[in-house]
Amino acid sequence: MSAPLRRLRETPRHLLVCERSHVRHERSRHAARVRGHAYNCRVSFLIPECGVLPEPLKSVTTDMGEYYLVKNLPLHELVAQEFISAFVKTGSCYALSYNTRIDQDNTAALLPTDCHSPLKHIGKLILSVDKDTYEELGLQGRPSRYSGKKIMRYIITIDLTDSAFHSDSKKYKRVLWALRDKKPLEFDFLLSWHHTGADGSTLMSYFSKHQIQAHQPKITFSTLRNLQCPVLCSNELQGKPEESCSAQELFEWLGAVFSNVELDNKSFSFVSTYCCPEPSTMMDQAYLCTITGFILPEKIIQLLDQLCAYFDDPKLAQWVTLTVHGFADSPVSWRENEHGFQKGGENLYNFVVFRSLDYWLQMAVGANDDCPP
Amino acid sequence: MAGFAELNLLALADRKALRAVLEAAARLGYSTVAINHVIDFKEKKQEIPKPISPSELLPSLPIIPGKLKPIKIVTRLTLVVSDPSHCNVLRATSSNIRLYDIIAVFPKTEKLFHVACTNLDVDLICISVTEKLPFYFRRPPVNMAIDRGIYFEVLYTPAIKDSTMRRYTISNALSLVQICKGKNVIISSAAERPLELRGPYDVANLGLLFGLSESDAKAAVSTNCRAILLHGETRKTACGVVYTMKKPQPVEEEEETLPACKRAKTQV
Repeated sequence: MSAPLRRLRETPRHLLVCERSHVRHERSRHAARVRGHAYNCRVSFLIPECGVLPEPLKSVTTDMGEYYLVKNLPLHELVAQEFISAFVKTGSCYALSYNTRIDQDNTAALLPTDCHSPLKHIGKLILSVDKDTYEELGLQGRPSRYSGKKIMRYIITIDLTDSAFHSDSKKYKRVLWALRDKKPLEFDFLLSWHHTGADGSTLMSYFSKHQIQAHQPKITFSTLRNLQCPVLCSNELQGKPEESCSAQELFEWLGAVFSNVELDNKSFSFVSTYCCPEPSTMMDQAYLCTITGFILPEKIIQLLDQLCAYFDDPKLAQWVTLTVHGFADSPVSWRENEHGFQKGGENLYNFVVFRSLDYWLQMAVGANDDCPP
Repeated sequence: MAGFAELNLLALADRKALRAVLEAAARLGYSTVAINHVIDFKEKKQEIPKPISPSELLPSLPIIPGKLKPIKIVTRLTLVVSDPSHCNVLRATSSNIRLYDIIAVFPKTEKLFHVACTNLDVDLICISVTEKLPFYFRRPPVNMAIDRGIYFEVLYTPAIKDSTMRRYTISNALSLVQICKGKNVIISSAAERPLELRGPYDVANLGLLFGLSESDAKAAVSTNCRAILLHGETRKTACGVVYTMKKPQPVEEEEETLPACKRAKTQV
């Protein structure tokens, strides 16, 4: 009888990776980490002791780029040679199937980044399919790592910019046959394309035959008053007792702030008994901004640079935080690490940038996930 | 992983109430539900009724929110057996049993449990949750059932209704999971009203209380239910490999014009 009781006491598996470095350090990997996390659905930043957002930050937040929702797009359209030459090879094209659950249905995603050469534009189509679809589709894939003894989920990866993937190759014909004739799959896709250079055809005009709609990310601003904040010391990731808080405590506190949880553990509150970690200070105000949508990593890098530039003028704040949440139903978390949904599909990362431009980076994943890089 | 399935919605006489329960199940995220007809042989000799066909129940099936497919409805028959002679109906070939997709049996004595695990051609064995177990589970018949692909069902709706039944549910489920080591278990409701249904992730959490591991608990609502549906389908086939389908006969219009030898033969 003790085994089930012991199991009840354990929380589901979750991982939190904390690292620290300096923004201007030549071997700092913050840009690589941001670029590696392709699908972001929510970006929030919190600036303590700030009542009004400075102008450069405001302009970056309002210019987060638009994304498109295409309904009922057959999957073989993403493998068509015109699409590849127009969008995949000329810029970073991101696509994620919309309204599909990673633990129940088939999911498709288009990844533009290559872990070894971040400047080369490539495209990888990742399909996460269940057993029946995999057996009917006929493409080669590998079983998912989080599927248990009876394999129920398979991951198929197709490299669209491979030199062997041109119109006459057997590989291309096989993929096209599988996706168009054998088992036609259709999804609603969230699409976005980041390109530098002259505008050729845009996504709107290419998919004009399908129902495509452009969307702007939703932005909300709020000012939090009388907020209790933990004291942090940039050198001490683990926190020193009586002097500063650890990175895990900050992570939990940040989650409480975003969920609007009362931090003072009032006796009549039944919702939460969470207290701000000690040592802490009381802040008059803090600025919280949340952007929701299909946000590209390139825009997040711009936002991060602007947040670092926030400290160019002397400010009251000791640190600012930038939190990015990934989609719960995306098939990959960082680069091509597999992502699954057991009871929750969280995959998020959080930057804490200090006045001295030291930063802490915390990456968190849930149960059915590979460890973040 | 397969979609979530709820394999026990009681077939109520009131069609409107059943429709409300089906819509609640679709809203909660279940992609497959089974409408359960319960036959209790303790009463006077009963005929097995024909199953409700989903198309006559609902003109348009409720669509699961967030997906474009409608919910899939299958039919299920549960036989409450307390006497060995009741099992003969399963062997009868000309009754309405063949029209059901899933067949479940609810044994009331230890002998019948053993017979159900080893011999009977069923997909599910129900475990009593409303009373203290009349018999203890033993490992040999349970292992034989697991080898044959038979699953054990634990209900959770009695636990919602009454606290005494909650105790029985947890203790019976714990003893089952101890013996079968968490394999081949599904958790379902026997819901009569929409309020008695719970979402699939909540039911998976309830599985943790019954002693299942995290992955087993999630499989109890998704993968195992898919396996039961496939097991039920293989009953209509020959060893699960070959199945026959009646091909509609082509209309014989030119019978009189052509002599018999020149008449087109029906294709194989």
